[in-house]
Amino acid sequence: MRYRIAAFAALAVAAWLLPYGLDSYAIHVVNVIILFALLAVGLGLAMGVGGQVNLAQVAFFGVGAYVTAILTTEAGLGFWVAALLAVAATAAIGLLVGTPALRIQSHYLGIVTLGLALAFTNWVTNAQVAGGAEGISNIPVPTLPGVDLSNEYLFYYLELIVLAGGLLFGEFVVRTGLGRRMRAMRDDALAAGALGAEVPMLRMTAFLLASVYGGVAGVLYAGLIRYVAPESFGIANMFLLLAMVIIGGRQSLIGCVVGAVTLSVVRELLVDHPTYAQVAYGSVVVLTVVFAPTGLAGLPRRIRAAVGRRGAVAGRLGPFQPYERGDAPPADAPAVLRVDDVHMSFRGLKALDGVSLTVRQGEIRGIVGPNGSGKTTLFNVISGLYRPTGGRVEFDGRDVTGLAPYRLARAGISRTFQNLRLFGDLTVRENVLVALDPSRTVDGWRYLLRPLSVLRGDRRLRARADEVLDRYGLTAFAAQPPRSLPYGTQRRVEIARAVAARPRLLLLDEPAAGLNGDEVRQLGEMVRSIRDSGVTVVVIEHNMGLVMSLCEHITVLASGVVIAEGSPAEVAAAPAVIEAYLGDSMSTDDVELPTEVNR
Amino acid sequence: MSTATTTGTAALTVSGLTVHYGGVCAVRDVSFEVPAGQAVGVIGANGAGKTSTLKAILGLVPRTVTALRLGDVDLSRVAARDMVRHGIGYVPEGRHVFPGLTVEKNLLLGAYARRWDAEVRAGLDEVYELFGVLAQMRGRLAGALSGGQQQMLSIGRALMSRPRLLLLDEPSMGLSPKLVEDILAVLQRLGREGLSMLLVEQNAKLTFEATATCLVVENGEVAMTGTSEKLRHDPQVRRIYLGL
Amino acid sequence: MQVFLQTFIGGLSLGAIYALVALGFSLVYRTMGLVNFAHGNVVTVGAYLASTFYLSTQLPFVLAMAVAILLTGAIGLVIERVLRPLENKDFDLMLIGTIGFGIVLEALIIMIWGATGRAVPSPVPGAPLDVFGVRIRTYDLVVLAIAATATVLLVFFLSRTKRGAAMQAVAMDHEAATAVGIHVGRSNATAFMIGAGLAALAGGLVGPLLYVSPAMGGALGIKGFAAAILGGFGSIPGAVIGGLAIGVLDGFTAGHFQGYSELVTFLVFTVIIMIRPTGIFGERTVNRA
Repeated sequence: MRYRIAAFAALAVAAWLLPYGLDSYAIHVVNVIILFALLAVGLGLAMGVGGQVNLAQVAFFGVGAYVTAILTTEAGLGFWVAALLAVAATAAIGLLVGTPALRIQSHYLGIVTLGLALAFTNWVTNAQVAGGAEGISNIPVPTLPGVDLSNEYLFYYLELIVLAGGLLFGEFVVRTGLGRRMRAMRDDALAAGALGAEVPMLRMTAFLLASVYGGVAGVLYAGLIRYVAPESFGIANMFLLLAMVIIGGRQSLIGCVVGAVTLSVVRELLVDHPTYAQVAYGSVVVLTVVFAPTGLAGLPRRIRAAVGRRGAVAGRLGPFQPYERGDAPPADAPAVLRVDDVHMSFRGLKALDGVSLTVRQGEIRGIVGPNGSGKTTLFNVISGLYRPTGGRVEFDGRDVTGLAPYRLARAGISRTFQNLRLFGDLTVRENVLVALDPSRTVDGWRYLLRPLSVLRGDRRLRARADEVLDRYGLTAFAAQPPRSLPYGTQRRVEIARAVAARPRLLLLDEPAAGLNGDEVRQLGEMVRSIRDSGVTVVVIEHNMGLVMSLCEHITVLASGVVIAEGSPAEVAAAPAVIEAYLGDSMSTDDVELPTEVNR
Repeated sequence: MSTATTTGTAALTVSGLTVHYGGVCAVRDVSFEVPAGQAVGVIGANGAGKTSTLKAILGLVPRTVTALRLGDVDLSRVAARDMVRHGIGYVPEGRHVFPGLTVEKNLLLGAYARRWDAEVRAGLDEVYELFGVLAQMRGRLAGALSGGQQQMLSIGRALMSRPRLLLLDEPSMGLSPKLVEDILAVLQRLGREGLSMLLVEQNAKLTFEATATCLVVENGEVAMTGTSEKLRHDPQVRRIYLGL
Repeated sequence: MQVFLQTFIGGLSLGAIYALVALGFSLVYRTMGLVNFAHGNVVTVGAYLASTFYLSTQLPFVLAMAVAILLTGAIGLVIERVLRPLENKDFDLMLIGTIGFGIVLEALIIMIWGATGRAVPSPVPGAPLDVFGVRIRTYDLVVLAIAATATVLLVFFLSRTKRGAAMQAVAMDHEAATAVGIHVGRSNATAFMIGAGLAALAGGLVGPLLYVSPAMGGALGIKGFAAAILGGFGSIPGAVIGGLAIGVLDGFTAGHFQGYSELVTFLVFTVIIMIRPTGIFGERTVNRA
């Protein structure tokens, strides 16, 4: 930590002294590099942090520059007023360009944003107001009392301060709740939604952030060059910017800056051979995505992993500390979950064919059935991932059929997934933090206006996260990414995460899959204790030993239909169940049913 | 169905088969033989490692194995896509027909490793004879078939390669009891014709009736082996299945 | 009415080019789930190769085209081989990887053929035909005929040949395809090669219609991609319909909005995609999250 502070201080001093060693051409180059760095941070926030493919970043840059240019030259506004309006306009455009992200992702989003960027250059090349192909010149020098900003050396300091501020703010977002939820969404949008992250709002936030950074860079560009023309904002520069972000490492904002600086410097060195430079950086992009997808920023970790194999598994899994028992639920406890005649078909294939069940408060309900009987489909309907083709789902007496997953999560339904959906690039602690964090995306304004209260809130959350980790014996792994952990431990992380969201109803999808005997026993204790703390639990499980010992009540599904329901003993004796599991040849008379079940 | 049959010795020899996914050991040191011309069953609860065992034999998942032979041929270094050329037919779990192709194309692709000549056409007719319903549907897209029909198509596709050994993964999955009976009849008929089979199933009844010997797997290991007749009445099997 | 027809016919020939580009996109996407953002630059390479052989070595147009298709197909093989580790894994990385290839190809084009463009004379001389007052250039008819032939051949290949069936099987279920003995990697490489060949065909054909320049592939690629998505990504008839639709849309926006045609085209495209993300013939549902 001390080294890091020292390094930053040295870097700051170097940046401060840099202009003294540069001639007037070099300082101009540096000033342009800083703008690219700012753009790269914005793109990193959208693409690396938010996972939104945004090929319109340079167009945002253009919007900022052009609006400033038009407002100062045509409307005669002062530079800073125009700048403010320009950033606001860019943000509005950013939200507009981001709207398709609500419906489409990945390459679809790539083509749409690229198309809209082309539409922008098409517009400025033709529009009278934008000066057509010649662009707009004679943009006035931005005024600052006591500082002559027509001097590029002084403009450098303005840019430096903005970049430092932008980087700091970006890091602030990334490391606290908002950025954490964005990163969670990037790693696994489904799981993030199931934990209450408002995926649509977060996607818009990603575009909002990217466009604001783009707009600010555009304003500075207009003030620096004082001339704007369409070709500065075309696809070529977009791809160059993309290369910077990829080579630097899109998930790290510092990496984005490093990528921007490195690539710009290389390009400047090869300025007499621009095509060779282009071949070089294109090739590096290809090599980066194939061999080092985390870019330059990811190299230190990869090297450390390759050399030392340190941090493989640094700690031991601690014991689970049971929750304090809440009041036992009354025998006539109200129903928490009521599934009523739910149908679900996929292209004519009936996965659920009229499933009804009622789960009372404080119950541990088991759902079993052969492969393909529709168990996970049922969970997906309850947790809002699927909208059922028929029937209704009631939670706490309220009709919640077809609500978005994040709304259900916020209403109090939490779940785990059959194939583990942990956020792979977040640490174990951050995984839990995403679930713990109740703040909403619309509260994002507090990042600008009340940053300290955001920080304090985050510190409180961290303390709570550490309590959760401690309870589940995961403290030793808090700072590690989940995929470095043994499978059984990952399962436990997922349960800790689901419970951290403080649900009233917890859905566990095959929590024992891949666990050894001892881990299964611990799991049983854990689930019982979670229930005793007042959470109703529904568990899909194939490990019949666990189901029989854990659940008071079992529902058996086969081919999308409930074929039996009752106590473990009743279910195990039901002919339909034996038929479903074993075929019908084995009569029940052979074996006496045990009265007490333990394993 | 005329199927190449080697007499006497083992058709398939598996020894020391182990599969790891990330940190989980899905299959641990499993060894067994399928005698030529016989059917062997692998039963066990979901998640016990049955499917992994089958995929590992084919090389579809990373595995380690001390010996893997079909007859005298060493298969331990054969790529998954070449297994069919050595005589292994595969009926995957969940059927995995090619949904956007016609029934006939699906069957023909089963014979991809062979020349599409008169002999293959004859094989097609044999499959149609075995599964009358497929003959009526030959021009239909496989994705439009019912689950049971897709299962038959999947078996038919595997037979089109003229396998010496057929690997079947849960052919009864998601089928009604009536259809399970139909599948059983087909397996019994193939057995009578001398085809070696390895049948992985959750449906114990089907397996006991279709095979002579069985392995019961639990937690990735072979928990029991024995004749199907004996296992059928073993209470231990019930325990493993129903958790009692 | 006459103006309408004239614009419509004019849009069709460029639409046929978009359709060929879209076919390449769709074929590659449906076989290996790879979106090739370098496809537009491959089109440019094809255009330059074809025009070079046609203009400087005096090969007949058809032959020049054939050589261009073969050479471009080879480039497709290289791209596929390098990006193979990412196939069916990380969409976004793969997308960026192909953008990287596009950057390299564009630079190579400038190195080899220079930054300025060239005009390619029409290989079929003759006055435009006059059909009920609508003027149709003969070359437009040639383009439409070749595009139609290529589509028919592609459909024939996919539906009637063993290799084509295998390619479709790989697209639908690569594990089952492996189990029946299909070499998935080789099948994907073939698909990529055909996709690049289609791009070269489009590039060669578009030469006499537009000015051949290093930047032309960018616009063609993006519109071809838009066409593929509009028709339903991965669908062969969708690619054709989508291509023609974008071509005609282009023609009309050029007529009505002059310089702003691109702006209008992409806005319309964005709106359509938001209303119906799966396109006209698409079947895949987009993840609801």
